[in-house]
Amino acid sequence: MNDVLVGRALVKRFGQTVALGGVDITVRAGEAVAIMGPSGSGKSTLLHCLAGIMKPDAGEVHLLGQRIDAMGERKRSALRRTRFGFVFQFGQLLPELPAEENVALPLMLGGVPRPQAVRQAREWFAPLGLHTMESRRPGELSGGQAQRVAIARALVTKPAVVFADEPTGALDQQTGQDTMRLLVEATKHNDASLIVVTHDPNVAAWCDRTVEVRDGRLVSTGVRA
Amino acid sequence: MNLDLTWRLIKGGGRRGLLGTWLTLGAVAVSTALLLFAVAANFAFDARAERGAWRNPVPAASGPAESDAVAIEASRYDYVRDQAIPVVDLAALKQGVPAPPGMPRFPRPGEVWLSPALAELARQLPADQLAKRYPDPEGVLGDEALVHPDELVAVVGHEPDALEMTAPRSDDRIIAKPPVKVSSLAGTPSEDAEAYRALALIASVLMVVPLLVFGGAAARLTVARRDQRLAALRLVGATPGQVVAMTVAEAMIVALAGALAGAAVFALAVPLLAGIEMQGGPWFAGDLFPSPLALAGVLVAVPLLVGLSAVAGLRRVVVSPLGVAKRETPPALRFVRVLALFVVLAVFPLLTRGTGVGIVAVALALAFLCINLVGPWVVGLIGRITARAARGPARLLAGRRLVDDPRSAWRTVSGVALTGFVAGFLGLLSPGVFAGEAAPPQLRVTAPSGQVTQVAEEARERLAAAGVTATVQPSKQAVVAALGSSADAATLDRARTALTGLVPGRTPTTEADDQRSGSEILTDVRVGTIVVLSVSFLVAIASAGITAASSILDRRQTYGLLRLAGTPLEVLDRARRAETLIPLTVMGGGAILVGAFCAVPFMMGQVSTIGLITLGACVVAGFAGVIGAGALSRPLLRSVTADPAPRPD
Ligand SMILES: Nc1ncnc2c1ncn2[C@@H]1O[C@H](COP(=O)(O)OP(=O)(O)OP(=O)(O)O)[C@@H](O)[C@H]1O
Ligand SMILES: [Mg+2]
Repeated sequence: MNDVLVGRALVKRFGQTVALGGVDITVRAGEAVAIMGPSGSGKSTLLHCLAGIMKPDAGEVHLLGQRIDAMGERKRSALRRTRFGFVFQFGQLLPELPAEENVALPLMLGGVPRPQAVRQAREWFAPLGLHTMESRRPGELSGGQAQRVAIARALVTKPAVVFADEPTGALDQQTGQDTMRLLVEATKHNDASLIVVTHDPNVAAWCDRTVEVRDGRLVSTGVRA
Repeated sequence: MNLDLTWRLIKGGGRRGLLGTWLTLGAVAVSTALLLFAVAANFAFDARAERGAWRNPVPAASGPAESDAVAIEASRYDYVRDQAIPVVDLAALKQGVPAPPGMPRFPRPGEVWLSPALAELARQLPADQLAKRYPDPEGVLGDEALVHPDELVAVVGHEPDALEMTAPRSDDRIIAKPPVKVSSLAGTPSEDAEAYRALALIASVLMVVPLLVFGGAAARLTVARRDQRLAALRLVGATPGQVVAMTVAEAMIVALAGALAGAAVFALAVPLLAGIEMQGGPWFAGDLFPSPLALAGVLVAVPLLVGLSAVAGLRRVVVSPLGVAKRETPPALRFVRVLALFVVLAVFPLLTRGTGVGIVAVALALAFLCINLVGPWVVGLIGRITARAARGPARLLAGRRLVDDPRSAWRTVSGVALTGFVAGFLGLLSPGVFAGEAAPPQLRVTAPSGQVTQVAEEARERLAAAGVTATVQPSKQAVVAALGSSADAATLDRARTALTGLVPGRTPTTEADDQRSGSEILTDVRVGTIVVLSVSFLVAIASAGITAASSILDRRQTYGLLRLAGTPLEVLDRARRAETLIPLTVMGGGAILVGAFCAVPFMMGQVSTIGLITLGACVVAGFAGVIGAGALSRPLLRSVTADPAPRPD
């Protein structure tokens, strides 16, 4: 019963294009999974289906035993807000909010009173090496710092699963490595599972295992020792 | 080569890029049409002033030059029902005097020429009410003699030594112009015509300022769409010059198309606009067409201005090839702006109704500008307060956004707020209707000294002959015929007709007649106010809609990602609404108060209900319009955020 997220026989088509041709995937509690594969192979589509952003044409998605792909948009939206966290390549922070309020926003959306939300948000800054960055705005942060704020924002609601689509895609090699380490450590520390889409084997190396997508199918499921 | 690339940029912008282009085109079309209207209004009043000038004679220089005089000219007002009839008395002093405007030749003694509308009215009404005053008209006046197509005008020819051309008249300009020798019939625009020109100028300034702001916002809209792709072009090595040239060319092509569309819209609207009554009548459609030069000027200036705004908006992209706009905490706007407003406002209590129009206009323009300066500062302040006080996410987002970019938030509401200033100013000034007591009508005419009894006797006889019951009594220098409470408008006109020519060069008038010119000006001011307010609101609402749409397009990626992360659409929507409504309430209310404050020195009597109703209607229309414009962009927000994989295009 420590399977957190299960996708079964997922199929997704865009017109003639078969983006997913029947994918089975299981993510266990606290596990970090990297999804790799060539461009256009269906990685993002898989992530979107698992995260309840898209409805698959066929197949099922279960979160902790509960089927989520059949839910209405409103319910899925609430689910994404409360049970999932997201880190994207860039552009997810609101430029006019100071960093701490960007992190506090998901809590406030969940009804946490503002002072408490901000207090909880601040606790994330030091561990992620963002000390003194609390009241800076995204435009005043480096790319790596902004991604770390995004990581804090993804984790602040104590989600079951964190989804990341090329979170280091816009960063240089070294910063990408550092960010990835922080992402993996922070999710583990919070007992959340992690699903990362990436092109970079060095980034994938931080995860417990890597699955490879080709033409909408999983071709290998490598578990690292 | 550049043009070719530009064209592909326009076409290749994708659906949203194209939407931005269409929005810009529409915005430019609306502003051009309204700009043409503002410009045309001045030309139209000029044309009226010029055509009416011949009735306002310029005395020939006295001294030896007096022998150059060719004619004697005088004018006065006659009345029928509740309309005024300018009557021009003319006498030639020489042979072959040139014809007055709108006439084939100079009128001979005894001849009467009527304007088409007056001739028509004389046919419709019973002869003893109007036609007998101007018997056997010789001909009809052409349009060049008329201020507007429906104008009632009579031209009467006399001998130079006729009493009409020699007897003294009142020289109060709202009653008559005494006879003077003139060396030409060109005349000069009347004081009233000049006042209308001045008011038209003020009105067009009130309309043009928000229009320019609006046009600038529209231009930025195209550029905002292009930011990302232009940055990409820079990355592949396009020089800054090429990037600027392409974007500006693109903005200007779109603007030119918009300007042409706007001109077409304006041309189509002219028949409608010509129906707006001013100075007692509608317009010659020709008057409303700006001169070809002005038209060309607008058609060139609009794309140029849009191009300039585009350059300004582009600076950022050109500087940084990465195109990632660094968003830093904006420098706080300075309090000096507020001080400037207070200084200007402090001037107003010093003004009085006697102050020259020029000074008042300058003070008003300054107050207007200062509100525009203070706007962003206040919006920033409101933003800080809102953000600090916010408990929920929507308010917090709205407040932070106001602090982040008070100028753009101000642009969204500035139109409505500035209109609020105009509404507040005019609302307080808007004159009430003249309190005309429903007293039975009395016709009064001033008699030459020593002849009062004799004139009274003749009036009595004439009225009796016409079958009008009236009590005629001398009263100081005048003769007064009281028509009794049963007299209706027809009886009054019969009495007027009977008394025509009783005292040469003078018209028997009622009290209402004497106030007519005053109340006409007040009516016109009211109509003008409504026109200016309508235009401002149109601009304000259009610019609120445009900015709402463009802010969504600008932030589509962030909005999309927030939505993916489960942020409810309602929160984003509520934040957007608060973002306009909070500043709108504060600034709109503030501007109305400032406008009202500026009007206090010029108030006559108490505040009129009509003014307050106008003001109330403005407030309702403003809010409804801005909320409506915002609501219209909701589907756009939905479609932008529905994209599961938002990325910069
Ligand atoms: N909204 C869409 N409409 C039509 N086709 C789509 C859409 N989204 C994805 N596709 C297609 O589905 C396939 C898989 O796309 P997906 O974005 O999942 O690829 P990816 O593996 O994430 O690629 P990349 O590494 O380049 O991000 C591609 O062929 C793509 O063209
Ligand atoms: Mg992808």
